[in-house]
Amino acid sequence: MISNSGIILSWICLLNLLFLLLSNNKFQIQLLVRLNLFFNFLLFCLLEIGLFLNDFSISYIANYSATTTPPVYKFASLWGSLDGSILLWNLILALYFLIYLKYYKKSDANVDVKIYTTIVIFFTSYTIFSSSPFAGCIELSSIGCQSSTLIPFQDLLTSSQGRGPNPLLQNHPLMAIHPPILYLGYIGLVLPFVITTSYLFRKDTNSNWVKTAADSTFYPWLFLTAGITLGAAWSYEVLGWGGYWAWDPVENVSFIPWLLATAFLHSSKAQISESTLLNWNYFLGGLMFLSTIFGTFITRSGVLISVHAFSNGNIGVYLLSGLAVFTLFFVYTGSRNIEYFGTSKKLKNFFGRSGFFVANNILLFVSALIIFIGTIYPIFYETLYERQLTIGRSFFDILVGPILLGLVFLMIFSVKLGIKNINFNDWLQNNLLNLNVSLFITIIISLVYRLPYLGIFSIFGGTLLFLSGGINLVTKIRKGAIKGSYWTGQLAHIGIAVFSIGLILNVTQSYSTEYIVKENNSIEFGGKTYKVNKAYDVSRDEKNVINLPITSDTKNKNASLNIFKNSSQQAISSPAIFRNIEFDTYVTIKFIDNENFKLIFRRNYGILIMWIGLALSTMSFIPKIVKNEK
Amino acid sequence: MKSKSLLVSLIVILLLIPLLYENDESRFEKWSKNLLCPVCQGETIYDSPSEYADDMRLVLQDQINNNLSDQDIYNYWVSRFGERIITNPQNKNFEIVIIPLFVSLLFVLYFLNRIKK
Repeated sequence: MISNSGIILSWICLLNLLFLLLSNNKFQIQLLVRLNLFFNFLLFCLLEIGLFLNDFSISYIANYSATTTPPVYKFASLWGSLDGSILLWNLILALYFLIYLKYYKKSDANVDVKIYTTIVIFFTSYTIFSSSPFAGCIELSSIGCQSSTLIPFQDLLTSSQGRGPNPLLQNHPLMAIHPPILYLGYIGLVLPFVITTSYLFRKDTNSNWVKTAADSTFYPWLFLTAGITLGAAWSYEVLGWGGYWAWDPVENVSFIPWLLATAFLHSSKAQISESTLLNWNYFLGGLMFLSTIFGTFITRSGVLISVHAFSNGNIGVYLLSGLAVFTLFFVYTGSRNIEYFGTSKKLKNFFGRSGFFVANNILLFVSALIIFIGTIYPIFYETLYERQLTIGRSFFDILVGPILLGLVFLMIFSVKLGIKNINFNDWLQNNLLNLNVSLFITIIISLVYRLPYLGIFSIFGGTLLFLSGGINLVTKIRKGAIKGSYWTGQLAHIGIAVFSIGLILNVTQSYSTEYIVKENNSIEFGGKTYKVNKAYDVSRDEKNVINLPITSDTKNKNASLNIFKNSSQQAISSPAIFRNIEFDTYVTIKFIDNENFKLIFRRNYGILIMWIGLALSTMSFIPKIVKNEK
Repeated sequence: MKSKSLLVSLIVILLLIPLLYENDESRFEKWSKNLLCPVCQGETIYDSPSEYADDMRLVLQDQINNNLSDQDIYNYWVSRFGERIITNPQNKNFEIVIIPLFVSLLFVLYFLNRIKK
């Protein structure tokens, strides 16, 4: 029933989009875009109903949910795997379509609507012709469903129990909000793509297309920042490996659109104020969205785990052909405007505002480029030599780390920049106090933590940025003048200053030790005593949990092992975290052997500082809203 | 605190600090941070809590105690697991670093050339 309704509704959705593609009537467009949102919302609700009713005649539900799955994770199962996540993708795409009409559509020509509709049709068609979360089950496997059909009104088979979500995805509620937030970021980057291409396709170069495109990039950028932060937090607080960022391909491709969006938010300002970087802004404006599709391709096609996994699904080919079409259109539209791009003004002041934006763009883009090459190089290597290659974190740490540090030093100058070149002597004179104080602080921190050079530069850059940005902020807060995009930038920069200090402490100071211990014994770790209490079991429908309470001072925390019933995967170890501003003591159970617990004690420095910094950066939208209310 | 000579002396002091300490990262730490745990998802044996990584660490510790050369250690792991076990291949395959740096350099030169007067 739900399977049939879902498949038919998807077709109606496609039909509606085809009308939209052909329509040139303003009222019709407004209506059809709302209908598209409504249909996608219905599809979303329909699959949620299926999940909560445990309708195992639907292949997706039989394979990624179970009767024993707790409600929060049932709800989140919709985006727990590829086919379902496209439903969320389409819903958000439909939502942004309406947002586009309401806030960013500035002209009566309908090229923009046609471009946007084509993109929506591309993703909707996938759920109709390729793979749908509503596909009915026609062949059962021992648990779950073996094969399925996209044709409605078939005799469907219902398995008695579902496989349940991947254990990693049902261990913490953070997993329920991290993907939607990230999607709100990724998919929002369709806005600048539609805006840049539609304006320039019509050769409308009089209007301030770059300002509209940049405005539309801000909120998606914010969601990307929050989404990546939540992902890192989830990884650290839940996964139990003690880290938050591993430079793995999925993380890398999520970072690339963020880097590009950050670059675009800055370079667009150079165009608005000095009519420079026109072609570059067009390039970035579209590349953000294209890099998102590329990222989805890389992570969803299986091409990265092994090139040979390509044949497993057809999403890879599908996304790649879409990417090719959108890219061609983007290049074609650009080539129609070669003359216009020629009017781009040359940069006059390399050490003025725009000069700094250029430097910022070079560093951000080069980071994205290096991460891109580092991520795809193993694919080429395997194709060429038929041997697999791993590019690990040391590659990215060595190449990208210093570039990101360079950005911190650029930000220091952002506090006060004019269009004219900055006078470095004056700057030095005005900032002597800040410079000396931060050098003094850096010397103390370096001595305490025995920092290497990279650490010293990071602490110095972070402290100076924090001091100059912070003093500026505090003096202006008193006057009540914290509004507008300048303060959005400043707040984001201060957040990054705090973050970079935490990050470098974490990278240089953290250490770990393993202990084998019995219940009711104590351990000395890093100058503190940790008492291991008696373990107890908790049995739930979906999993068994072994909790091991650990006490330090007066605080009591549980380290636990989660053993999921419907899964052959190894147990997930959740950490006990004792936290203060300087460091976390992060305890995970490695394994239990009779009476013996093998525990890993990690001392992770700077984690809370990092989270505070990232939270501050995410708060940077507040001055923007204050401005809008005026 | 508003003096330039103070600024210069503080910078000098700061730059001398790291010379006070020796790099205390052991050979074991270096190697374990660069060997992939083949049964884990992209973790090195330094990070991974799996038992498989435990066993690999024991072998590695043994090799280092026996003073095997870096080349011998490299050969041992690569012959058993293939090149993908090494997570810092840029130390042998220099092109992994040279390609992105070269591409970046080309980009920067082209970009600056286009926006200059």
